Amino acid sequence: MYKIKIRNLIGAVLVGQTALFGAQAFAETKTEVTISHYFTGELGLGGLKEIFSEFEKESGLTVKDSPIGHEDYKAGILVRAAGHNLPDVISYWAGARTQFIIDSKSLRPIDGMWAKNNLDNVIAKSVADGATLYDGKRYLVPFGYHYAGMFYNTSVLESVGVTSTPKTWEEFLTLCATLKSNGIDPIALGSKNRWPAQFWFDYLLLRTAGADYRADLMNGTAAYDDPEVVKAMSMWKDLYDAGYFVENSNANTWTDASDKVMRGDAAMTLMGTWITGYWNGQGMKPGEDYEFFPFPTIDASIPDAVVGPIDGLVISADAENVEGAEELLNFMVSNTEAQAKWANIQGALSANVNVDQSNYTSVMQHALATINAADTFAFNYDLSTPPPVAEVGLSMFAEFMDDPSKMDAILERVAGDAASAFKN
Amino acid sequence: MADIQLPHGTGAPSAKPFNPWPVVIFIILSILAVLFLAPTVGVLFSSIKTTKEIAFGRLWDFPTSVYWGNFADILSNPSVQGYFVNTLLITVPATVISITLGILNGYVFAKLPFRGSGILFLVIISGMFFPPQVILIPLFRLFNGLHLIDTLWSVIFIHIAMGIPICTLLMRNFFATVPNALREAAILEGASEWQVLTKIALPLSLPALAVLVTLQFTWIWNDFLWPLIFIQSDEKRTVMLGIVNLKGQYSVAWGVQGALSLLASLPTLIVFLFFQKYFIKGMTMGAVKG
Amino acid sequence: MEKENRFWQIVFLSLPMAVFVILIIWPLTSSFYYSFTNWNGFNSDYQYVGFDNFIKILTDKLFYQAAINTSIWMVAAIFLPSLFGLVLALLIDSSVPGGSIFKSIFYLPICLSAVVVGQTWVWIYQPDWGLMNTVIGFIAQEKFNYAWLAKPDTALGSVILAWSWQQTGLSMVIYLAGLTSISEDLIEVCEIEGASTWQRIRLVIFPLLTPATVVVIALSVINSLKGFDILYIMTGGGPFNSSDTLAMHMYNESFKKYLMGYGSAISVVLFLIALTIIRIYFKQLKKVDEIYG
Repeated sequence: MYKIKIRNLIGAVLVGQTALFGAQAFAETKTEVTISHYFTGELGLGGLKEIFSEFEKESGLTVKDSPIGHEDYKAGILVRAAGHNLPDVISYWAGARTQFIIDSKSLRPIDGMWAKNNLDNVIAKSVADGATLYDGKRYLVPFGYHYAGMFYNTSVLESVGVTSTPKTWEEFLTLCATLKSNGIDPIALGSKNRWPAQFWFDYLLLRTAGADYRADLMNGTAAYDDPEVVKAMSMWKDLYDAGYFVENSNANTWTDASDKVMRGDAAMTLMGTWITGYWNGQGMKPGEDYEFFPFPTIDASIPDAVVGPIDGLVISADAENVEGAEELLNFMVSNTEAQAKWANIQGALSANVNVDQSNYTSVMQHALATINAADTFAFNYDLSTPPPVAEVGLSMFAEFMDDPSKMDAILERVAGDAASAFKN
Repeated sequence: MADIQLPHGTGAPSAKPFNPWPVVIFIILSILAVLFLAPTVGVLFSSIKTTKEIAFGRLWDFPTSVYWGNFADILSNPSVQGYFVNTLLITVPATVISITLGILNGYVFAKLPFRGSGILFLVIISGMFFPPQVILIPLFRLFNGLHLIDTLWSVIFIHIAMGIPICTLLMRNFFATVPNALREAAILEGASEWQVLTKIALPLSLPALAVLVTLQFTWIWNDFLWPLIFIQSDEKRTVMLGIVNLKGQYSVAWGVQGALSLLASLPTLIVFLFFQKYFIKGMTMGAVKG
Repeated sequence: MEKENRFWQIVFLSLPMAVFVILIIWPLTSSFYYSFTNWNGFNSDYQYVGFDNFIKILTDKLFYQAAINTSIWMVAAIFLPSLFGLVLALLIDSSVPGGSIFKSIFYLPICLSAVVVGQTWVWIYQPDWGLMNTVIGFIAQEKFNYAWLAKPDTALGSVILAWSWQQTGLSMVIYLAGLTSISEDLIEVCEIEGASTWQRIRLVIFPLLTPATVVVIALSVINSLKGFDILYIMTGGGPFNSSDTLAMHMYNESFKKYLMGYGSAISVVLFLIALTIIRIYFKQLKKVDEIYG
């Protein structure tokens, strides 16, 4: 192996790029599809490998994958895009991030492949247009989607005598107070990598100001020092001041926070459905050991909205094996077995309407019912607003969690920073 | 040397009563040594504990049993083997070539000065003091244009370039200590400059080479920034990128990260132990003279 | 003879200089070029924006924060390891038993990479079960769970401590080399003359260690500029940018916000700062050269 590598290296330098291009011209039937994705260990890497090998069996192609940790992936994939160095297929979050790399001409539309495989009949309408259509063209297939809810440890809630989950804000506050008085930290949050805090902002804003206002904030027509934002943040602050969040949330990652709930040190955490995949992997039983309730209603006059990301697969503009890439995309979304498997392992919901929903765990069925009952499905914060603005906002959440008493000053500053980030 | 003890009173050496200082110093050093070893011990502990033990906060407890699973995981992971091969393929050529270029530069600046060579020398060694980030973006664009992104070459090239200043400085200082008379005599006998360099100057400069090999090998092997920017695909990653990325390959990877960290530190340790004697001699002879 | 020298100068210098110019000088110059554009890293249709990026720097609060952090980092990352190294070298040089074992122990961290060191110290600072809080909790006899790396007040300082731990060994080895080269006769003369220990250190050893200090400082500066790695691993510039250095800030602006033009402008400022440091260093070097030949 060592020897071959050296020879490859020497060969590459001697023959140089011309040979590489030449080789491509000759290799009419390419047998390899390259893919880069962020589905690492805690996000279902093992299951994904199995799905790839199914695809390999079916198509005769080989899949060469490079998983990269979530946080490094965000910067890394853009660096590769800048270098026209993307693999054939990459996983990406539907929404503003995908729009951003489409604007930089890094992706290839898939309208042809979409029509050929009749994906209109495969992909759930609720997900299809918002996530896959950009500037009038199809770019992305939804590989799975998620819902963020309040996941809790059932035995902890039972231990303090709580039998029904809160529906309104008052009930939620009562629950927190009960837990606190029993010496249990009500809410775990792991905001070290910043993004887990965003769901709090999303839901508080959606529940108090509504989806339309939030959309304005996300596209820059509303400002971060508006009374709507101040109100949402104040409610967040009240929770913090009451001591309902675990200490040092900025020192923990989302898995640290999940571990706290799993161990019973904390009662609940506001997280996406991928936490079910993580917990199932740790031996927790859905429905028995953990459950979730939707973020409580604050203002009954505001239509219900749910938040979550859609994991998509896209084809890069420089893809070397376009046919293989299209075949892979189609397989990943159309093959019901692969979709069902992924839904189970990762704790995702399938966007494929043909997937038998009885395969879902009880918790995932609950999540699906919650989404279907909601008026709006919104992308979470960092997928709704352009990446440069998201950088500003995510840092704001971490700064807020460090010391919420500085809230007014933080919001005032962020209003300016976000406005200038929109201008770039 | 043995009878010089620190600190020393003003009294006559013959009337020396019990001197407590060596004992005090020994105790101070022992305490410091324990403090210094603690982090390294942490790596060691993490590598022989299960992830569960660590997750439940027992990393710093003295291990009651040894768990070899982390090492087994690491050693059987084909990507990890690739990480080591890649790092070696980067480190060895980059170390050798950067030192070679430093030798060529250093020889000219020490033995064949010309008008303006002093200024040129200063320009080159000021390269030592630039934060590498300054040239990150243009280099990315340059390598991208040459289709070198995501190849080991990009990392090798940049390490060669970044190594030139320090190698030039040390080699010039060392060659300066080689008497001019030696060179002149050899030239009179018909030797070329190349022969003077390889047959006379270099053999006298082995300690400097030891210093450079140690420093360059350690820096390049341990480097993180350049591979982070230039390497993207898994099969071309270096060990240091690998350690960071292990976090992703397992759900919680403390144990395997510790094990890989330990293995990743061995080559630099071996290089240091191997060159230690010359390293210190080199530092005393040439480098310290500034 | 002249002609022959010229031939060898060209032969010897051409390759190293070519590499240096292409990979260091040229990128350095193009950093200046990009700093006047609004290039985002992807599109080739970027515009010339004049001094806009530099004007933006003036109003960028994160930049000021990063500049202050960079100064703290540079001073501490150069001063602390050098001082610790000197103290250790003096202690070990007093021919204490087991000197070479101590030397190896203190040198060991240098062989570890920033990635490994960073990861280990993250475990030390872990709020719930980290070594730091365990020890403090043991001494104070109550649970202590301060999050060293997640608090803006201590994040940078905590990284500096980890850094100093790693770098001390290198300056110690150099100072030890310097101390061995001080002639024993000279020390003996001091003793006979009746100089006190402190006098001996201050008046004889310190001045004679100046050349070693020059090397220590040079290596510390070079190493501290590599401090990006350990910061990236331990805090990533966080929490909320409170431990950003200029290099980190430049990385974030360029690679997370895709403002390559603005990132280049930060690089240019960083370059100018480095230039000042180099000038000071060479000035001191010249002084030392004049005194010690």
